[in-house]
Amino acid sequence: MTLPGTRIRATLMVLALAAALSAQDADMAERLFRSGERAYAAHAYPEALETWNQLVQQAPASPFAARALLALARHQLEVERKPEAAVPLLEKLRTDHLKTPQAGTALLLMGNLKAERARTPAALKEALADYNRAVDLFPDQPLVQEARLRMGLAQKRMGEWGRALVALTEAMRLDPASPFARQAQLQAAEILDIQGDLTGCLRMLQDLRNRHAGTPEAEDALWRIQTRVRLRLQKPALKSEGIWPPGRQKWLKTPTLLAVGPEGDLYIYNNDEDRAYRFTNGALAPAGAPAKAGRALLVPASGTAWIVSGKTGLVKDDGAPGVPPVPSPSGGMLDAWGNAWICDPGSPSIAVTGGDAGRALPVAGVSLLAALPGGGAVAASDSLRTLRWLDAEGQVKATLPYGKDLPAGFKTVVALASDPIGHVAAIVDGDFEGVVVWGPDGAVLRSATFKGLGIAGKFRALALDRTGAVILADRSNDLLVRLP
Amino acid sequence: MMRRALLLATALLVLPAAGQDPALRDQIQAAKAMWAVQGDREAAASRFEAILAALEPSARTLDAAWTRDLCEVYNWMAVLDDRAPGKQAQAAKRLEALLDLDPDCEIDRTITNRRLQNAFDALRAQKFGRIKLVLDPPDGVLTLDGKIRRMEAGLHHLAPGPHTLTYTRMGYQPQDARFDLAAKDTRPVEFKLNRTSSVVTVYTTPVGVEVFVDGKSRGVTRGQVPVALSYLADRAGVKPDQLSEGFRIAELAPGKHLVEFRLACHKTRRLEIDGTWTTPFADHDMDPVKLAPSMGTLTVQSQAPGGQLFLSGMDMGRVPVQDLQVCAQPYDLLVRYPTGSFTQRIEIAEGKAFSVQARPKARLTYAGFEGNDEFAGRDRILGMLAGLGSRLKDVAFLTAAKGESLKDCLARARASKETELLLWARPIPGKPVHQIELVLSTLGGQEERIVVKPLESDPLGSLVARMEKPLALWEPWAGVTAVDMPEGPFVIQADAAAQKAGIKVGRPILEADGKPLATVAEWRAALAAAKGGAVTVNQGEAPVKLAVVSMARELPVNAQDLCYPALLADLKLRYLGAVGDEAALYRLHQALALMHFREYDKALEVLRDARTTAIQGVSQGTFDYYTGVCLLRMGNVYLTEAQQSFNQALKYPQATLFGPDGPLLAPLARQALHDLQP
Repeated sequence: MTLPGTRIRATLMVLALAAALSAQDADMAERLFRSGERAYAAHAYPEALETWNQLVQQAPASPFAARALLALARHQLEVERKPEAAVPLLEKLRTDHLKTPQAGTALLLMGNLKAERARTPAALKEALADYNRAVDLFPDQPLVQEARLRMGLAQKRMGEWGRALVALTEAMRLDPASPFARQAQLQAAEILDIQGDLTGCLRMLQDLRNRHAGTPEAEDALWRIQTRVRLRLQKPALKSEGIWPPGRQKWLKTPTLLAVGPEGDLYIYNNDEDRAYRFTNGALAPAGAPAKAGRALLVPASGTAWIVSGKTGLVKDDGAPGVPPVPSPSGGMLDAWGNAWICDPGSPSIAVTGGDAGRALPVAGVSLLAALPGGGAVAASDSLRTLRWLDAEGQVKATLPYGKDLPAGFKTVVALASDPIGHVAAIVDGDFEGVVVWGPDGAVLRSATFKGLGIAGKFRALALDRTGAVILADRSNDLLVRLP
Repeated sequence: MMRRALLLATALLVLPAAGQDPALRDQIQAAKAMWAVQGDREAAASRFEAILAALEPSARTLDAAWTRDLCEVYNWMAVLDDRAPGKQAQAAKRLEALLDLDPDCEIDRTITNRRLQNAFDALRAQKFGRIKLVLDPPDGVLTLDGKIRRMEAGLHHLAPGPHTLTYTRMGYQPQDARFDLAAKDTRPVEFKLNRTSSVVTVYTTPVGVEVFVDGKSRGVTRGQVPVALSYLADRAGVKPDQLSEGFRIAELAPGKHLVEFRLACHKTRRLEIDGTWTTPFADHDMDPVKLAPSMGTLTVQSQAPGGQLFLSGMDMGRVPVQDLQVCAQPYDLLVRYPTGSFTQRIEIAEGKAFSVQARPKARLTYAGFEGNDEFAGRDRILGMLAGLGSRLKDVAFLTAAKGESLKDCLARARASKETELLLWARPIPGKPVHQIELVLSTLGGQEERIVVKPLESDPLGSLVARMEKPLALWEPWAGVTAVDMPEGPFVIQADAAAQKAGIKVGRPILEADGKPLATVAEWRAALAAAKGGAVTVNQGEAPVKLAVVSMARELPVNAQDLCYPALLADLKLRYLGAVGDEAALYRLHQALALMHFREYDKALEVLRDARTTAIQGVSQGTFDYYTGVCLLRMGNVYLTEAQQSFNQALKYPQATLFGPDGPLLAPLARQALHDLQP
């Protein structure tokens, strides 16, 4: 009779001991985590990382292990800038601690990493899957709003305008005061314009200004509104305000390429120096690496300058010469994925470089390219005497014969430029020798001959600034002229 | 204990004396008439006996008037007994009883025969002594052995023995006289008081006015002006019964004094007493003081039914009330509804109309704190929670009953439904406890959990701010969409009404109601300030008058600065009194609040009841779109119904999300339909 009782007592003692030990483990895990936090706050990173790693090893099932894994991953992402080192930590967090709130953040960060690396729609779908999982598994967490925004951005890059609009609208609905809602609203407005709803786009941009005055997004919305209204509704005639900046002559050295960067700054390629500059606060600052025979000036999101060289192909920051993907590059642009499109009028296709492998878009005879906000490009082809609006896959969406809706035709497009909201501008030569600005739908918005503008020079490059003005580069006089 | 019981018993004994039945006086008159008029001596004697039986037990506590009445009854009984054979001895006892009651009582010598008169006089001379009073001034108050006696100057009979007489009069130094009086003795007692201050007598109409001298209360006027002074009532233009008896203000030091007369619902009057009234010391009478009524009107509107109005606790009947006459003063206004209540501190100004738009506000019951764990800051957080009501204006704050446990309070509140919101707190386990979880819940179970630290500077600050955040559910709208351009708000869209009024699309608005405009923000401010439901705008040609209406704005689904359980409770109460489109809009907001809690089935239930006539902006299309969204979120069971809802939404091409300038929902509904296709 006593035996079972003894067994029960022994079992209870073991359970009690296990519970006590478990409580001790939990206590130890928390202390380790706090210790790591203290060290990290003191910027003693090695000590902090070691402490958290110890915690993950010794108490892998503890909720503090999940927090430690997330802290380790964030460190790799934000301090070390080593996303590849963060991935296994985030994967472990996602698989071993799925029930913790940190797993939601891990999914979001994984999605962001994948989206950042994605160069193709297929790659972006993996990021979308992570965002969807974050939303489905952690619906009560604030991260849902960011996940919705990221989903919308990904779908926008993929050209899925309708789905992107839905996701961005969801992000706007959740917490209007959050920066994610403002970014979503800005992007949703841009999608409306891509879809052809200019009024809807303007309403949404102004609504952003009304509700979130003083925010960076509200300031961003202002130029987007004003440029659209000016170019597409008011359509003032082009006129020259002369040398720009006023009084600055002979300050450049054969400017042959112009571009506007993501911050709105002007980039200038001086052919005599074989290098690009960023023009900011009235001064020129070298940007990117030197490259000879520049044919296109590309400005990636990082704000540096890449050059498409007629001799060495795409020259990035490191200045390493490459092999031209086309025999004789004449132009190029960066698409929404960060891929460079490089054209050659003698080539049967446009070369797309970036990602794991290059590819060719079967669009022949393209001499110049300019990026479109939807992910595609405008391609000028002197041999076909057409401008073609291409989507992200190189499919021709619209074709515009040279000279259409102009008083006279032209034979060549000397320079081609676009702005982030879909306007395209060109210096053209032929019977009509001057400047033309088209809308996203190919309609002529503004045009003027150099003679009509009262300017003379060897204009070989142009850019559209954030006020909708055209900036021309005169290579023979080493100056710029602005057409507001 | 014994002493207290004795005092209580004494008080109980005294009580009936103070409340003698006035009908007894009629009976005295009736008894006198029975004998004097009808000659029915026996019936009269019997009636007097009954009166004596009623009065004698409390003879020692009767006031002066009833004492006189009793003396009279003894006198009449003595006369009646004297005439009844065999009762003459009884007559003498009656006279003796009369003198025992008050030796100063005088018999009616017209009805009393000479023999009885002589017996009375002899008995009084033998048993009592006399004092000869001299009173200067004559109109003071005399107290004999602690009891006020109405005595004038002259001779008065008193029982033999030691006595104390005190003579007082306002404005004079009181004076005492102590003496030992022997039977048959006559003793002169002279009072000549010294003047110490002026006395001002005031009469007020109405009666009951509180009199303040130099800011200090001196008492309240009462009584009725004596007949002899009724001319004062004429002077005040009122009836004598509306003017108080004289209220004497004494102890007025030399110099000026400010006298204030205050009475609720009346204008306060201030009068100055001149220095000549206080030097030299003298008596003065003020002209009667008449206080004019001070009233205002109160109107309480309420769309919600069943509200009961209370003003500072007084039940004023059902709302709505229109132009209710009330005293001009501050009130705590309460409208109690079957669910929810409305409170507001108001001040009614004299002659002014005050209007209140009441609506039921949610009641929040703080049920208590879970557990008895000790931790630093416990008392602090408990005190803050108990005092939370003082920080919340938009909810009525209730607490658990005294001694009621958290569990019992929650159970009671849920069963009685006498609250809309429940709040309780519990410590988050830790060593030591550093965090507290606050749980705020509706009766429907939609709850929010907030973690606070008991020692942070204001643990409840965020909760209070979110609960008190005003809802912006509407915005002014003139049918015009404008964007910021350097030349001013540039019109990019105008609805049919605005275009018909003369608005030109593609031009800036230069002025609104005469004020120049530079930005859309200024245009929106002009709309918000527009009076009379219209705004006059100038686009460089003839001014255009535009109607300004309120357009709906959506409730955000997950805003960090909103408290959704409180919102949900509030919206349910707002819906109770709303009709038409407004009611429908509250349903939409309720649905959005329920979507916050991901209770899509309940949101759908709410949306199913809502219909609006609005077809532009946040309108019927919006309702249909969200119906579709809820159906989609409920899984694959309702896909067909979701399709129907999105198709329905597409019938309203001008319907938007979020607000009048929000995105059109048509592209979103189309995308949803596209995604629903197999």
